[in-house]
Amino acid sequence: MSSLTRTQRIWKHLRREWQLYVMLLPTIVWLVVFLYKPMYGLQVAFKDYSIFRGVAASPWIGFEHFETLFGNDQFIRALRNTVIISFYSLLIGFPVPILLALMFNEVLNQTFKKSAQTIVYLPHFISSVIIAGIVITAFSPSAGVVNTVIGWFGLEPIYFLTKPEWFRPIFIGTGIWQEAGFQSIVYLAAIAGVSPTLYESAVIDGASRWQMMWKVTIPSIMTTIIIMLIIRIGNVLEVSFEMIILLYQPATYETADVVNTFIYRQGIQAGQYDFAAAAGLFNAVVAFVLVMTANSLSKRYSRTSLW
Amino acid sequence: MSGVVLNKVVKRYGDIDVVHGIDLHVAEQEFVVLVGPSGCGKSTTLRMIAGLEEISDGTIDIAGREVNEVAPKDRDVAMVFQNYALYPHLDVAENIAFGLRIRRVPKVEIERSVNEVAGILGLTSYLDRKPADLSGGQRQRVAMGRAIVRNPKVFLFDEPLSNLDAQLRTQMRAEIKRLHARLGVTSVYVTHDQVEAMTLADRIVVMSEGRIEQIGTPMELFMNPANRFVASFIGSPPMNQLGATLANEAEGPVATLDDGARIVLPRFEGSADSEGRRVVVGIRPEDVLLEGTDTSDSVPIDVDLIEPLGSEALIHAKVGEHPFVIKTETYGDIAHLSELRKIRINRERVKVFDEEDGRSLFSSVGD
Amino acid sequence: MTNMNLYSRGDKLFVIANMVLIGMFAISTLYPFIYIAALSLSSGFEARAGKVLLTPVSFTIEAYQYVLSDPQFWISYKNTFIYTIGGTLMSLLLIIPGAYALSRPQLFGRRFWNLTVAFTMWFNAGLIPFFLNMRDLGLLDSYFGIIIGFAVNGFNIILLRNFFESVPQSFEEAARMDGANEFQVLWKVYIPLSKPAIATIALFCIVSRWNGFFWAMVLLQDEDKIPLQVFLRHTISNLSDDQEFGATLFNAAYSFETVSAAIIVCSIIPVLIVYPLMQKYFEKGILLGGVKE
Ligand SMILES: Nc1ncnc2c1ncn2[C@@H]1O[C@H](COP(=O)(O)OP(=O)(O)OP(=O)(O)O)[C@@H](O)[C@H]1O
Ligand SMILES: [Mg+2]
Repeated sequence: MSSLTRTQRIWKHLRREWQLYVMLLPTIVWLVVFLYKPMYGLQVAFKDYSIFRGVAASPWIGFEHFETLFGNDQFIRALRNTVIISFYSLLIGFPVPILLALMFNEVLNQTFKKSAQTIVYLPHFISSVIIAGIVITAFSPSAGVVNTVIGWFGLEPIYFLTKPEWFRPIFIGTGIWQEAGFQSIVYLAAIAGVSPTLYESAVIDGASRWQMMWKVTIPSIMTTIIIMLIIRIGNVLEVSFEMIILLYQPATYETADVVNTFIYRQGIQAGQYDFAAAAGLFNAVVAFVLVMTANSLSKRYSRTSLW
Repeated sequence: MSGVVLNKVVKRYGDIDVVHGIDLHVAEQEFVVLVGPSGCGKSTTLRMIAGLEEISDGTIDIAGREVNEVAPKDRDVAMVFQNYALYPHLDVAENIAFGLRIRRVPKVEIERSVNEVAGILGLTSYLDRKPADLSGGQRQRVAMGRAIVRNPKVFLFDEPLSNLDAQLRTQMRAEIKRLHARLGVTSVYVTHDQVEAMTLADRIVVMSEGRIEQIGTPMELFMNPANRFVASFIGSPPMNQLGATLANEAEGPVATLDDGARIVLPRFEGSADSEGRRVVVGIRPEDVLLEGTDTSDSVPIDVDLIEPLGSEALIHAKVGEHPFVIKTETYGDIAHLSELRKIRINRERVKVFDEEDGRSLFSSVGD
Repeated sequence: MTNMNLYSRGDKLFVIANMVLIGMFAISTLYPFIYIAALSLSSGFEARAGKVLLTPVSFTIEAYQYVLSDPQFWISYKNTFIYTIGGTLMSLLLIIPGAYALSRPQLFGRRFWNLTVAFTMWFNAGLIPFFLNMRDLGLLDSYFGIIIGFAVNGFNIILLRNFFESVPQSFEEAARMDGANEFQVLWKVYIPLSKPAIATIALFCIVSRWNGFFWAMVLLQDEDKIPLQVFLRHTISNLSDDQEFGATLFNAAYSFETVSAAIIVCSIIPVLIVYPLMQKYFEKGILLGGVKE
C-alpha cells in the first residue's frame, strides 16, 4: 500500500475523481483554443506574416516591426493619446464615484435614495453603440440639443465631433456619465461596512454631518479608495476603445486615436496583421506589467488580493 | 456481522503522519466513541471509515469486507456532520429522502421510509419546512433522519451535538442513546466532550496526537486510566496529579509527596522493588475525605477559593506549591469549608504513574 | 438618526443641498434618454430645426413605422436574441462545471489550473491574434463563432469558484455519502445553493451579449447575421455620414435624427424590462467580485 508509485497514485486518484476532470476539461479546452492559442499566434509580431503561409510557416524577421512601429508617427501619437486620455479620465473620473457614494450616504429619505440610485446605475447597462448614438445626436450641429442651447446665447453652432479639441472632453465626460454611478456601488458597500457605533459616538461627541463625513466615513473607506485607485492605474491602458471607434473620425484622429484603435485600423481594416500584432504585443506586455504591479501593491494594502 | 475493523491505519498528509497506525475493532451493534483533544485525528479517522479521506496505509474492513478502494456511497455507512449539511433548498422530507432518491428507490417506498423515520424522530409535523425554519435541535434530528433512513450498516457521527447549547445537548444525547438502543446499528461517534463520551459509549477510544492512548468501557477508563493523559482527560474536574517518591514500608508501598505528606498505597505488582522510584500520584477530586483528618496520613492544604455548584462544591486549594481541586457534597453548606486545613485521601482509589513515561503502575489496566 | 428635528441648522442645510445635488445628477443621467424618446416621437422637420428639447414636437410615430418596416431591423433583432440566449447558455454550460471543479480541494494540480484561468485575466494576446485565430478556426461570419468565441471569461469563473468555495465542504461530502456522483452533487446541491451567484453571472452574460458590438462588427460581414447593435451602428453612421442621402431620403415626417432615436429606443426597451430584475443581483454581484485567489 505505502509503496504505491506516483503513477499508481495518480491513477487511483483519477479512478476516484475522474468526473471532476470531465467537468474541468471543456473550460480548459476553451481557454487553450480561444485565449492561449492566440498567445502562440503573437509570434506574427516577429514574422513577415502572410495569410497563405499561415502563422507557423511565415518567415521570421526579428524586431523589424517594432522598429517600424517606434518610427511611426501615428503610433507614437496613439501612445501619447492613450496616456493623456487615461490620465484625464483618472484625474476627473476617479473622484466622482467616491463623491457620489458619500452623497448617497447622506440621503435620509430611502425612497429618494433608491430611485436616484436606480437612475444613475442605468447607463452602465446601455451599449456603447447606443450611448454613442445619443452623443452623436445630442451634439449634432443642426438638430442636437447642445447646439440648440448654444444658439440661445447667440453663438454659432459647433460641429463638435469633427473638432479635435472637443473630442477628449466629450469622450471623458461620456465615460463619467455612463460609469460613475455604477462605480459608486463599491464605495457604498464600503460605507455600509462602517460600524454604526463609530457614528453614534461621533454624534455623542457633537459632530455635525459634515464633520462625520470627514472624520468617520472617509477614513473608514480609505483602504477601498486606495485599492480602487491601484486597480485603475493598473488598467490605465484599457481605454474603452470601442467607444472611441464609435465617436472618432479622421478629423479627430489627432486627439482621439489610441493604441487599440490604431491596431484595429492597421490590422483588421488595412490587413497589416503582423505590424498591428507587434503594436498589440507591446500594449499587452506593458498592461501585464502594470496589472501585476497593481496586484502586488494592493496585496500589500489588503489581505485579499484582487484575483 | 457488521463490525468495523481498523488495521494499522495511517493517514499521511505529504510527509506528515497525522494518524499513526491505529488498530481498532468495533463489534457489531457496538457504540464506540472517539475522544481526544482538538487536532488529535478523530475526524480524520472517522472520515477514513466513511471513505471521505483516502487511507494512506493499513486497511479498514466494514462488515467483513475491505473497503480501502470502495467509494463512500458503496460502503453502506451514513454520517451525521457537525454542521448537519442540510440542503437549504430542500424541505425536511426531501432532505431525508435525498439519499434514497439518488439511489432511485421507488417513490412509494421513499415516502413510507421518510414517514417512518420522521415518526421515530418526532419530525412528522415539520416535514414540509425548510431547514432555515427549524430550531437547532430539530435540524440535528433531520440530520439524524437522513442517516437513519438509509438503514446503513454503520453510523458515523462527527461532533453532532457541538453546535447545540448545553441544555439541548443533554437532551439530544439521551435521544441518540435511545435511538441506538432501538436500532442497534454499529456506531462510531467523535466528540471532544468527555461527558458525551462517558454517557454514550459502550467503549471509549481516547486518542492523542494520532495515536490511541487507551480503549475501554467508560468505567474502565475512569477507574483504571492507562496513563496520565487518559487520567486527566476522563473525569471532570480532571484528576489531581502530584509528584512523589515511592518507598517500601511495613504498611505497604508509601508515596511521599514532594510537599512532605505521606500516602499509603495498596500493594501492586512490582511494588516490592520500587524503593526510591519517582512517580506521579493521581487523586480524583471526588476521592478526598474531609473528616477524620487527625491521622498520620493526612495532607495539609491551603484553601484558595470555593465554588458552590448546588449539591456539590469545588474547593480550589494548594498542596504545597501545587494546585489541588476537591469535589465534595455540601448541599450549600459551604461556610465551614474555608476552615479546612487538612484532608485525607481515599487510598483505595489513588492512581500511580511513572514520572518518566506517564504509564500507570497498576498493571491490572489493559492498554 | 432619521429624525430631522434632531439636526442642527447647519446639518439641515447640508442634507438639503446634498439632495439637490443628487437630484441634479440623476436628472442629468436621465435627461439624454428623455431627449432621445422625445426626438423619436417628433416630426423630422422639427427635429432638424432643433426644436426638440424635452417633449415630442409635432407628435408622430412615422420614425417608428420606418424602422419597424425595415426587414433588416427584425433580422438583427432576432440575431441579437440568438446571440444573447445561445451565448448565455453556452457560458453557463462551460463556466459552472469548470468553476465547480476548480473549487474542489481534491482536484489534482488545482493551483496550476487556477493559474491557467487567472493568467488570462492578466495577459491578453490582443485583437489581431484573436482575430486571426477565429479566422483560422473558420469562425468568421458564423453564429456559432460568436456564441462560443466569447463564452468564457476568467473573471466569471473565479467569481463563481469563490462562491462554490464558500459553501461548506460537508455539503459535498454529505451528498457523496448519500450516493451522489460529482455531477449529481453539482446539479442537485451546489447549483441550487448558488442560485444568486449564478443568476448574477447569467445577468452579466446577458447584458454583455445584448450590448456586444465590436467583435460582431469585426467577425460578421453577412447582413443576415449581424446583431442589433451592428445594425444600429450601420444605420446611424450611414445616415449621418451621408447628409445628402439623408436630405433626399427624409421628408418632413422623419429625419436621420428621429430614425436613429427610434432605433435607440427600440433596442433599449428590453434592457429596461430586465433592469429591475438585474438590480436585485448586480449590487450583490459586484461585491462577490471582490475577487480573491
Ligand atoms: N488536509 C490536511 N492537510 C494537512 N493536515 C491536515 C489536513 N487535514 C487535517 N490535518 C491535520 O490532521 C490533524 C488531525 O485533524 P482532525 O481534523 O482529524 O482533528 P480532530 O481530532 O477532528 O480535531 P477537532 O476536535 O478540532 O475536530 C490535525 O493536526 C490537522 O491539522
Ligand atoms: Mg474534528
